[in-house]
Amino acid sequence: MAYEALDFYDVDSLLTEEERMVRDMVRDWVDEEVIPNIEIACREGVFPDEWRVALGEMGVLGAPLKGYDCPGLSYTAYGVICRELERGDSGLRSFASVQGSLAMYPIWDFGSEEQKNHYLPKMASGEWIGCFGLTEPDYGSNPGDMITKAEDMGDHYLLNGAKMWITNGSIAELAVVWAKLDGVIRGFIVEKNDPGFSAPEMKGKHSLKASVTSELVFQDCKIPKDRMLPGVKGLRGPFSCLNNARYGISWGALGSAQACFDSAKDYAMSRIQFDHPIASYQLVQNKLSWMLREITKGQLLAYHLGQKKDSGDWIPEHISLAKMNNVDIALEIARVARDIHGANGILDEYPIMRHMANLESVKTYEGTHDIHNLIIGRHITGIQAFTREA
Amino acid sequence: MDFTIIAETNGDSLHPTTYQLIGAAASMGSNSTVICPNGVGASEAAKINGVEKVISANGDCFNIFDGGAWASAMSSMCGEMILISASPNGREIGARIAAQKDIPIIQDVVSMSEGITVSRPIYSGKAMESLTISGSAVITLRPNAFEAAGTGNDAPINVVDQSADVKIAIQEAINKASERLDVTEADIIISGGRGMGTIENFSHLEEIADTIGAAVGASRAVVDEWGMPHRMQVGQTGKTVTPSLYIAVGISGAIQHLAGMRSSKYILAINKDPDAPIFGVADYGIVASWEDAIPALKSSLSELQS
Amino acid sequence: MNITVLLKQVPDTTAKITISGGKVDENSVSKWSMSPYDEYALESGLQLKEKTGGNLVAITCGPERTKKMLTDAAAVGADTLVHISNDGVTDSTHVQKLLAAAVRRFDSQIVLCGKQAADTNSGSTGPGVAELIDAACVTLVTEVNYSEGKFSTIRPSNSGTEKVAVDGLSVFAFDKGTHELRRPNVRGIMMAKKKQVESITSGDLGVVLDSSNVTLNSQNPPPEKPAGQKFEGAEHVNEVVSKLRNEANVI
Repeated sequence: MAYEALDFYDVDSLLTEEERMVRDMVRDWVDEEVIPNIEIACREGVFPDEWRVALGEMGVLGAPLKGYDCPGLSYTAYGVICRELERGDSGLRSFASVQGSLAMYPIWDFGSEEQKNHYLPKMASGEWIGCFGLTEPDYGSNPGDMITKAEDMGDHYLLNGAKMWITNGSIAELAVVWAKLDGVIRGFIVEKNDPGFSAPEMKGKHSLKASVTSELVFQDCKIPKDRMLPGVKGLRGPFSCLNNARYGISWGALGSAQACFDSAKDYAMSRIQFDHPIASYQLVQNKLSWMLREITKGQLLAYHLGQKKDSGDWIPEHISLAKMNNVDIALEIARVARDIHGANGILDEYPIMRHMANLESVKTYEGTHDIHNLIIGRHITGIQAFTREA
Repeated sequence: MDFTIIAETNGDSLHPTTYQLIGAAASMGSNSTVICPNGVGASEAAKINGVEKVISANGDCFNIFDGGAWASAMSSMCGEMILISASPNGREIGARIAAQKDIPIIQDVVSMSEGITVSRPIYSGKAMESLTISGSAVITLRPNAFEAAGTGNDAPINVVDQSADVKIAIQEAINKASERLDVTEADIIISGGRGMGTIENFSHLEEIADTIGAAVGASRAVVDEWGMPHRMQVGQTGKTVTPSLYIAVGISGAIQHLAGMRSSKYILAINKDPDAPIFGVADYGIVASWEDAIPALKSSLSELQS
Repeated sequence: MNITVLLKQVPDTTAKITISGGKVDENSVSKWSMSPYDEYALESGLQLKEKTGGNLVAITCGPERTKKMLTDAAAVGADTLVHISNDGVTDSTHVQKLLAAAVRRFDSQIVLCGKQAADTNSGSTGPGVAELIDAACVTLVTEVNYSEGKFSTIRPSNSGTEKVAVDGLSVFAFDKGTHELRRPNVRGIMMAKKKQVESITSGDLGVVLDSSNVTLNSQNPPPEKPAGQKFEGAEHVNEVVSKLRNEANVI
């Protein structure tokens, strides 16, 4: 069944033909391979390996990166890809975000020529999965105080510490890990067989169940000297990765929102109560109308941000606004959609509860909703409200 | 108007459609010339009312189906208006003759009236179109859409020897039991639900499916509780299907099941509960247990097939 | 060798068909797609090209919008894209003449197409074009193979299927094929974008489109289905089956 997306203002007509072709390719794949299998993947708590292979074959991993066998698409195309993937599931989009924006991007931007040639082609093809280690058990919104550290041992580095909430951790071939070397945050590439490194999976999630989440543990983990990313020092490194990932999320959340809207609309049209479809009642129409309104605004926001990313005329606060808004409305749309579905809304027959639970994570990861508010608050007032110190 | 009919055959005799082609010509107030490829059914055709003459077209070129060869062997014998069955072979012969004579072809016609005005489904039946033909044309008629002509006639039979250049050779016959279709590709689906009692009883649905070339589907309850393969599941979390005919047996019609099959062109529901919601979307409903209805359905359908 | 695939762009089979003013309203079609059986023809052409080498020519006849479908074909591997303008085309005879002339112009050894298009549902194009180019035609095929200068194919027979061989220039009209359809990828899409669509007209092909003796009166929604009919008891099964045949025309 060909999917017809809600696109009230024809925002997609602004895409280039190439971007629309990429959209259709990913959309068809999601319809044919992801949506029919997602509930089973969630129940089993696995990320199907066929999806990794297919993403590599389609050539969408690391979408906006150029050279080194990377796709070389626009940032707008990258956003569209995220949206289409997340209509399937946020866990699937998370996989692509982490691979492209958090693992490939830092190597591409800050890596040595040798590192780029060695890692990027195999990551673009999906052969190697990457993950990104920034958050620690005690340092989430406050990564600058991380305690994972690296020591220069002359002929190698020694890593000690732990990272948490790491998407793709246990299935990754390599991790881009941020650690302090002599008090300065630096990026290191850790490979899965490096001595002293382990990546146990975190179990028991009620959200992003079709995505692998892990801890990364470094106990005197020994890595060769050529694994440090030479091109960046300090928080700018991880933050520039996060800017790209958050940008993708601002599109992705719209995919979840659309899936919920579609389901709510179909359900409301076919569910008969008091002899009429519930879609004929004003309260339900009000809800559907509100969903359409928020999705349409979100689409305009995402598209315009995409244009700014492509032209280079953007600031991180632009991304904060879009990430915060679009995830927020997607989550609220999921909740309202659940309401329209009545009791049926809690069943896995419908995608609603899954998207709702996923979006709770999406609201928190890659900068919580509140942190993005503070980023914008700082932009407005010039006063940072993250810490008590001025 | 002068009608030529190319007979549709079935083994050694005429296919019932041939009677309908002749009936359709008769309804236009015209007698027809019937061409029987390879002479099959010629004497049978001579007995059909409305036939003016039968041409028994014989020749080696008819030993194998090559639409191009058949068309060139018969084209010169055809008159102004040519009627053929809209079967796969009929459509191919028709298209060939039309191209050879440089006349139009209208395929899959379901009604025909003076003018000549014909109508045919387009977009897989989502719309109909009405066309008027002036002059010579090839028209293929949808089987079972026209009244069959009766018998009692005694028309003359002309035997004609024909030859044509056959470009196709059979290398190997592959006899295989046709595999049962998947629910997403079948034109007819017969699905069972919890009302079937046990998974073993699905064998009755499978027999019917094999008789009419249908796929077998299942409701979610049957997939979840009895371990039917998930690929057979029709509904919200299963496949969404749009066959020409969906037969729901022992399926009550929960909203999640309806979501997967309500766009079927026609729905036949068999359920012993007269209040089952499935009857709300069914075009034809039979209130009966599957034990009573399925044997009757099977014999009725196999009778049609033979 | 030149492998030609004839393609048609149609409203997606899941799209709603709207009638306005006695005609199907093309502007209201939400999505245009390559006709499904044509996709199998294209896939088989691509596989053939991979085995034997050669050039895959994708040809369509239609309005401007159909160029997009040619670009989609290029994204999965079509080499030459040919768009024939449908200016002045009023019936299938015209289309066949234009396609046949284009097949000749590109000196094809083999022509692949779908058994019928999802809009007209006719199935005239394959055999019609074959007649005009004096070629063999096999319809309802599921695969095409090439060895020692000869094409062979699988088609249905009374007892299952049969493998048939053809001589010389041939047209194969595809049913659902045995090959899984390939997906495009980003690299293919980027290459397709750079590929030029060759636009030609009936004049370029030297085809005269004479007036047709078929006129379209109107296109209409299908007749309303009768309200649901419910029968009490299994003794009505025969009656219902005959209604399925004669009323609904589905068995």
